Amino acid sequence: MGAPTGSDRLLRRVVRDGGGWTVLLGAVALTGAAAELALPAALGLAVDAAVGGDGSLRWPAAACGLVAVLMVTDVLADVASGYGAARATARLRRRLLRHLFACDVRTVRRYPVGDLVGRLAGQAADAGQAGTAVVLGVVALLPPVGSVVALTLLEPLLGVTLLGGLALLAVLMRTFVTDASAAVAGYQRVLGVLAGRLLEALGGARTIAAAATVERERDRVLAALPELRGYGQLGWRLLARASARTAAVGPLLQVAVVAVGGYALTAGWLSPGQLVAAVQYAALGAGLGAVLATLNRLVRSRAAAGRIAEPLAHPVRPDGTEPLPPGRGELRLRGVGVRAEDGRPVLDGIDLTVPAGAMVAVVGRSGAGKSTLAAVAGRLHDPDVGEVLLDGVPLRRLSPPALRRAVGHAFDRPVLVGETVHDAVGLGLPAGSAPPPDGAAPATAAVLTAARAAQVADVVARLPEGFRTRLVDAPFSGGEAQRLGLARAFPAERLLVLDDATSSLDTATEHRIARAVAAGARGRTRLVVTHRATTAAAADLVAWLDGGRLRAVAPHRRLWADPAYRAVFAPDGATR
Amino acid sequence: MSGPGVRRTTWAALRARRRALGRLAAWSAVEALPALLGGVLVARAVDRGFLAGQFATGLAWLGGLALAVLVGAAATGQVYRSLGAVVEPFRDELATRVVHGALREATRAGGRADSAAVARLTHQVEVVRDTFGGLLLVVRGFLFAAGAALLGLLALAPLLAGAVAAPLAVGLAVFGASLPAMVTHQRAQVTAGERLGRSAASALAGHRDVVACGARERVVSAVDGRVAAQADAERTLARMAALRSLSIGVGSWLPVAVLLLAAPWLVRQGLSAGAVLGALVYVTTGLQPALHAVVQGVGGGGLRYAVTLGRILRTSPPDDPPPAAATAADPGGPPPAGTRAAPRTAAPAGGWAVELRGLTFRYGPQARPVLADLTLTVAAGEHLAVVGPSGAGKSTLAALVAGLVTPDSGSAHLAGVPVAGTPPDALARLRVLVPQEAYVRSGSLGDNLRYLRPDADDATVLAAVHALGAGALVNRLGGLDAALDPAALSAGERQLVAAARAYLAPASLVILDEATCHLDPTLEATVERAFARRGGTLVVIAHRISSATRARRVLVLDGDRPLAGTHDELLARSPTYRELVGYWEDAPPPARVPLSRA
Repeated sequence: MGAPTGSDRLLRRVVRDGGGWTVLLGAVALTGAAAELALPAALGLAVDAAVGGDGSLRWPAAACGLVAVLMVTDVLADVASGYGAARATARLRRRLLRHLFACDVRTVRRYPVGDLVGRLAGQAADAGQAGTAVVLGVVALLPPVGSVVALTLLEPLLGVTLLGGLALLAVLMRTFVTDASAAVAGYQRVLGVLAGRLLEALGGARTIAAAATVERERDRVLAALPELRGYGQLGWRLLARASARTAAVGPLLQVAVVAVGGYALTAGWLSPGQLVAAVQYAALGAGLGAVLATLNRLVRSRAAAGRIAEPLAHPVRPDGTEPLPPGRGELRLRGVGVRAEDGRPVLDGIDLTVPAGAMVAVVGRSGAGKSTLAAVAGRLHDPDVGEVLLDGVPLRRLSPPALRRAVGHAFDRPVLVGETVHDAVGLGLPAGSAPPPDGAAPATAAVLTAARAAQVADVVARLPEGFRTRLVDAPFSGGEAQRLGLARAFPAERLLVLDDATSSLDTATEHRIARAVAAGARGRTRLVVTHRATTAAAADLVAWLDGGRLRAVAPHRRLWADPAYRAVFAPDGATR
Repeated sequence: MSGPGVRRTTWAALRARRRALGRLAAWSAVEALPALLGGVLVARAVDRGFLAGQFATGLAWLGGLALAVLVGAAATGQVYRSLGAVVEPFRDELATRVVHGALREATRAGGRADSAAVARLTHQVEVVRDTFGGLLLVVRGFLFAAGAALLGLLALAPLLAGAVAAPLAVGLAVFGASLPAMVTHQRAQVTAGERLGRSAASALAGHRDVVACGARERVVSAVDGRVAAQADAERTLARMAALRSLSIGVGSWLPVAVLLLAAPWLVRQGLSAGAVLGALVYVTTGLQPALHAVVQGVGGGGLRYAVTLGRILRTSPPDDPPPAAATAADPGGPPPAGTRAAPRTAAPAGGWAVELRGLTFRYGPQARPVLADLTLTVAAGEHLAVVGPSGAGKSTLAALVAGLVTPDSGSAHLAGVPVAGTPPDALARLRVLVPQEAYVRSGSLGDNLRYLRPDADDATVLAAVHALGAGALVNRLGGLDAALDPAALSAGERQLVAAARAYLAPASLVILDEATCHLDPTLEATVERAFARRGGTLVVIAHRISSATRARRVLVLDGDRPLAGTHDELLARSPTYRELVGYWEDAPPPARVPLSRA
């Protein structure tokens, strides 16, 4: 599906999402533009009436009426464009957010997080302006273009004068853009140096604090400041030159119009009132440059819509509807294959049965497909071919709640989600036990049990506010985060998939956790990806992956005789 | 609230640059020349030239106006230069403040290195720089242009000047009165945007985790709430923008209406056609654009200025009085409260290198202590390893000994000197702490190695390098004078550089806080043995249990029961130690490092 068509379709939808506000904006902006165009003529007639000694207040009143219309339309246009954009932006954000969470893990993983946040927070706002930009972009053209026409109707020479001046203005603006970029680039570069040094020093904060060299570091960071100021002042000088030019051109243009109009006045082609109108039209016409800014906004909206349409084009993953049959958590993979985006096989023809209640370790070199196997085993995404069954039911037929109650995942680098530590551990729990309890209890029973089993309850108890400590205030080490991630997966009832989830733990803690997992009264099935020989040795069976294929399934003791198997556990995959 | 702080800081910044401001005002006055003369000259050109049939005379008057425009344009250039002289020093001031604040917060006891400071430096300070310049520009532009237009009107028709000034004042008053509310709403909008960004970032970074936990609905609806709050804030801002438009309408369109309605009467009183035209020129080309610019400028950039500056001021408060003042008062005075709790024991012949008495530390008043009532002595010249499961408080212990955090109770002495109350530079002469995250900065390798001992000659530095087995690294990097790109080094190489730096430090006590965790076990052993031979006292916070087997004495931290002894004693007495060592030894081969005792 091509991005341009997607972005235009999305853009149309955004304009529609503005709803009544966009319609109101269009009506108001049109009325305002009409009043703006009529006003100079009315002013001219009013002046002529006054100068001519005509006591009638007809034209002055008409001009005042137009002024009143302008005031009202300005105010209404602000409200309509703001409300319309707010509504369209919010709808766009919701649509993108829901879509991303309806897609599977593999799809979303293609985008860096910062990039997606940029699309959701930044570009959605730009795209949400589409309605406003379209309406204002069209309507904003009317007054300047109408003025040139009006001026030419009043006196053709005046129209020519105005257009010539505008062309000159455009040329001058263009030269400034090229001049300033060098100064801006230099400024940005020095600013980057400053920021880089500050970041370095922040990274070494502990060393610096211990060595008492804060002042030395501060001077080092700020040493680039004079150079920065130099570039800054160069920028101001360039700006000074450019603005002197533009400051001359605009007013000179109006003087020229008055002069030409004055000639017409002397010759009797114009009345004084018409000269007034000409001056006003000249001022309106000079606003043609500003119209380009609104067009610019439309271009930006369109580009932003394209960025949002891209992730929206990915198909969502269909959810199943079936409940889980009785069972104790037997996991079966039948002919499972997964391909990377470039078509290279990541997993190929995997047939593996993990008996209910057993622990199977998955080992293999980096890139052997271990994490992919773990991901399809819990339906973080579906395999491209083959089927994964839990207690005889294909995972893709299970309803989401049934699936998540049955299967828990823990990861090498878990991302903790939520406001507080409690929320993070309770992420997979029902709404009743996920948030911290109201009373004095440190945590809900479910969260406390999980945290204890994952050997992390003591760590949390040492935080300033225990389980209620906000995640941003608790910088966890890799091992602590892993334990919280384990605690989060613990309530799963039938299958635990641990993807290198204890790699940062010391052996003592790892062993305590393994004991707690195995001792669970429910005797859950465990699929454990690991790099450690100790962990593989503790498993009932080892599934040895090599280049996306299952090379052997056997107990660790039996495989250990094979040097190729032992090499899997060598540091950095070194062979000997 | 940040309001008063913003006002005070702005005022101080302006007052400090009085001379540049004076220049700015002078050039602004010149710049306003066309605005001052425009209406009058047009009036004369029409009355005495064009309407009198004298085109040349009219053209001459307009020539005068063109001249005034050129002079004004030249002044506009000077205005920008003077503006730079006010704005650039202010940016320097703010950048200095942000850097000071960030480094102070990162290095104070219990402080946090917040990388958001970098965004403050590159983004927020720049926003303030731009908006401060813009604000000065529109405000003084309005004052001079509106002043000139009113003066010109006064010259043309004094009565009209009054009639025009009144609605202008009303418009400005409406705008001024709504400014505080606008600042508040603008701030709310910025905050709502940040909350949305944070909540979306957290949800999307955890997409895999959220899907794995089946928490899609919950997380999406939490972000939804932020989306709605943001839309609310946008709607409020739209209403504020409408209010701004209203004040512009009142201030700039009502004068036109007044003029039109009064014109017939004024003409009957003898006002010329040219004067009516001139008055319209003053209002529509002088007052209207100036008011438009100042209201939109203050309402847009000005609000961003107030909000962003307020944010910088809040996150980077001005320097506190230096803590040295407090500590200099009692160099040899009574020890701080809490030290009295446990009696100090008699020191061995060489003295205690480290002496901890009843040390307790916790992260908050409600929190369980990380270390409770810990008492420990390390004799001068001793080699101690600290082991324990992760999260047992090993790094906290290192920070307490080094004086980087303050204990809740108890005392720490280094070579008889109390850690509490000793200035940081004096502490730095007593001990050197090597943290896990090695600090290597861009510059030469030699500068990095001499960081703690600037006067060391090349031979001394190279001797340290070779003692630590870093010779190959130094050769690869191109010698001591080679420029170093920290990002190009691996974590292990960075740790090696930091270790060599600490090896050179004059301090006799060395604390390695998991400082060799990214080295391979062989190199780790080389480094630890080199430090043991260096002389002085060595405390190793161990990442691998093999570090314990090289130490003369081992401290096991686990929960609330610390236990110290030799390797053999601890094997007999500490279940945790057995667990740590036992599972290590149980591991099937390949264990490449023999666990022999050093």
